Amino acid sequence: MNFILMISLRNLLRQKKRNILLGTSIAFGVMILVAANSFSHGISDVMFNRVMRYVAGQVSITTFEKNMISCQIFRDKNRLMDIVNRNSQGITRTDEAVGTVCRAIGNGKSENVVVIGLDTRQKVTAKTLKEFEESFKIVDGSFVELKNPKIENPAVISTDRARDLNVKVNDIIRIRYKNVFGQDQAARLTVVGVMKITNIFMSGVIFVELQNVKALLGYEPWEVGGLNFTINDPKRNAVRIADRLHAALNPGLAEIVASLNFKEKHAQASVFGFFNNDEIKKKISDHVAFSFPPDKDTLSKKGVLVTFDLANKLGVTAGDKIEFSYKNKFGNKITKMEYAVTAVIQPKKCLDADVVLMNENIFYPLFYENLPPSPVKSSGAYIPQKSDPLYESLAPEWILLPRTRTTDDFQKKLHQLTSKKWKAAVVDVATMYESASDILKFESALNIITLVAVLILFFIIVVGVVNTLRMTIRERTREIGTMRAIGMQQRDVRNAFLLEIMFLTFFASLVGIAMAFAAMWGVSRLSFDVIDNPLGMLLVDSHIYFLPTALGVFFNVMLIMAIAFITAYFPARRAAALKAAEALRHYE
Amino acid sequence: MSKMKTLLVLAIFSGVIFSARAEVTIEELLEKIQQNMDLTTDVSARVTFTQQKVDQGTKTIDSIYYRRDHDDSFLIVMVAPENEKGNGYLRVGDNFWMYRINTRTFQHINRDENIGGTDAKGSNFEKRKLPELYEGVKDAFGKEVVTETMLGKVPVYEFEVKAKVNDVDYPKKTYWITKDNYLPLKEQNFSSSNTLMLTAYFRKYATMNGKFVPVEHLYIDEFEKGNKTVVEISDIKTDRLSDDIFTKAYLENLSK
Repeated sequence: MNFILMISLRNLLRQKKRNILLGTSIAFGVMILVAANSFSHGISDVMFNRVMRYVAGQVSITTFEKNMISCQIFRDKNRLMDIVNRNSQGITRTDEAVGTVCRAIGNGKSENVVVIGLDTRQKVTAKTLKEFEESFKIVDGSFVELKNPKIENPAVISTDRARDLNVKVNDIIRIRYKNVFGQDQAARLTVVGVMKITNIFMSGVIFVELQNVKALLGYEPWEVGGLNFTINDPKRNAVRIADRLHAALNPGLAEIVASLNFKEKHAQASVFGFFNNDEIKKKISDHVAFSFPPDKDTLSKKGVLVTFDLANKLGVTAGDKIEFSYKNKFGNKITKMEYAVTAVIQPKKCLDADVVLMNENIFYPLFYENLPPSPVKSSGAYIPQKSDPLYESLAPEWILLPRTRTTDDFQKKLHQLTSKKWKAAVVDVATMYESASDILKFESALNIITLVAVLILFFIIVVGVVNTLRMTIRERTREIGTMRAIGMQQRDVRNAFLLEIMFLTFFASLVGIAMAFAAMWGVSRLSFDVIDNPLGMLLVDSHIYFLPTALGVFFNVMLIMAIAFITAYFPARRAAALKAAEALRHYE
Repeated sequence: MSKMKTLLVLAIFSGVIFSARAEVTIEELLEKIQQNMDLTTDVSARVTFTQQKVDQGTKTIDSIYYRRDHDDSFLIVMVAPENEKGNGYLRVGDNFWMYRINTRTFQHINRDENIGGTDAKGSNFEKRKLPELYEGVKDAFGKEVVTETMLGKVPVYEFEVKAKVNDVDYPKKTYWITKDNYLPLKEQNFSSSNTLMLTAYFRKYATMNGKFVPVEHLYIDEFEKGNKTVVEISDIKTDRLSDDIFTKAYLENLSK
């Protein structure tokens, strides 16, 4: 074998000019392939690791009420965190997702900005800190000042927005924004830092300490807007972690254990909501007996349904108004509300004797605004079984949206929300790959376009390889005859030609890789001043960003080698098949 | 120092002379405002928004508005400018659709979405009772403050209210309403931090079936100076409207 290797290498040097020309073509193709793949991979990296990661988290839990994406609120942060903590394998960091779009007025200038809550109190790993500082380089002031309680809403602003608003460190920015409930609000931010952001997509960001943003947006300390997760190896784990969190977020029934008061009488009851649609109303009507025939108001938001036993204990009949009172889970608050009884009902083999049913239109505002403790912790609370015929008709704690796998499905899911009439809070779990799968598609499309272009280029190279081999074989016919005559096997002749081409391709590929790296280095030195242009999202620090990977380069070289092998195989086999005597007689 | 004292005394006395605490409660005043303006009939009208924004010039949007009283359904169809003509909004029950004439499609939207690119939202057209949304602000002694004062030459009650519920545009407001018939003339809207955000002037009223309809309002953006919107309402009719109006088909046909 060493002998064949030596012959192949020697032959490679015999026709220098021809091989250099062919090698240059191959190197050029490899250069384009490696550079283009690195560029498309760089785009994905920028979008996922420098934009999406901070905007939407690698995996995220989004929660909102009133069927409005703008009303992002979950009333029990501890409950959500408990679920996450029990399923935290692979999650390296959890951040509260709190932010809002604002109109900002600086020194005589105004601009739209995005205020994002940054949790400065949470411990960060050296790696996370390094990645953050790479994306958000402070150029004036300091991030540390964000938690200075003596400063009014300390904020770190991007250099672009500082210029747009004509502000510097210590200046005041006034912002107008809508809080989580849609109220128009105003606040003052004090600039404590200016940062250079490597990606234009994030240039509108103003960082404010998380607790300050939550207060501005109207969140209570026990509420949360949503959660973003940073995870290990997101490409491999994101979907798995999202699926696991999704399964764990299955809601129970929303229940209020309340004391019902009417005149001097009191009774404890379990209060449930029911869905406000005709199908559910019919189902309820089928499973309970009414004290009098129900009309359109009986199951409406005008009042509540009280069971017969409960009505007896309190001495109420339809039309009476009863007071509900219960201690809230948070805020040391006692809620007292008055509701009219629209009907007295007798459940038929379902529910409990001491139950109140409320239309979701009045149940959910009461439940969310005055969150009750878990019924499990209330003594004597009735917890319906899943086998109860009316279980599916009762209002859940929240509605969990189904998991989606692509951006199209994800957008369709969100778009369909507006046609729903849900009053319950909605919870969704997503990964950045499905909320932005178009970026992956874009990367794949770019790779395919590059590959097709390079394959066309390689078709020309293939013609060159075939032609070179034909010429070589023709020139060396007598040599082949001699080698065969002195006992060289057909297989060895074929391998010698194949190895010659493979060596040529391999060395040319190495040169191509070197050329690609040189070209990427050169192009990434060029600076592009792109403002208000979406193409700016593809840049890092105003430079085109390439991200070559060892695996990608290896795959490219293997592809070229495979093409060269297939191309060279048949002419090499033909050369090997020459009979020694005929080859020796060959004369030109 | 003595000058300052004199000014202070003068200021206090002028307050006493020109304004006095009224006996009426804020809840009563809110109820009166509500009763005055609560049209209990179907309504159709032409509504013109003239919106002036800094750096964006003036934009005028003309629309026809229909409201069915018994279920608070409404339909808005744009008649000008040309690029908005035929577009519309239909709200029936919990459903709220936006119609786009260029694609001839209906799209479900939320009640907090802007109408026709103006600052008006779907929720602004809903019939919601003022006393259910706001309550009077109390002073340090736990008493509501209603001041009798003058707005220009008109004697008015001035009082502050705060939101009872979360889903209102502004958490605090100050009203100036006429003493004789309880019509709001001026309204200031504040954020929670007491920043004045918007001032509304109700410059002209029309009477319909014993109720008052503000037919010309001016909204001044106090946060970003230079922005203002004038709303003019004309051709008001209170005839009963056909149920056919509050359908997708009607909106589509109107737009043809």
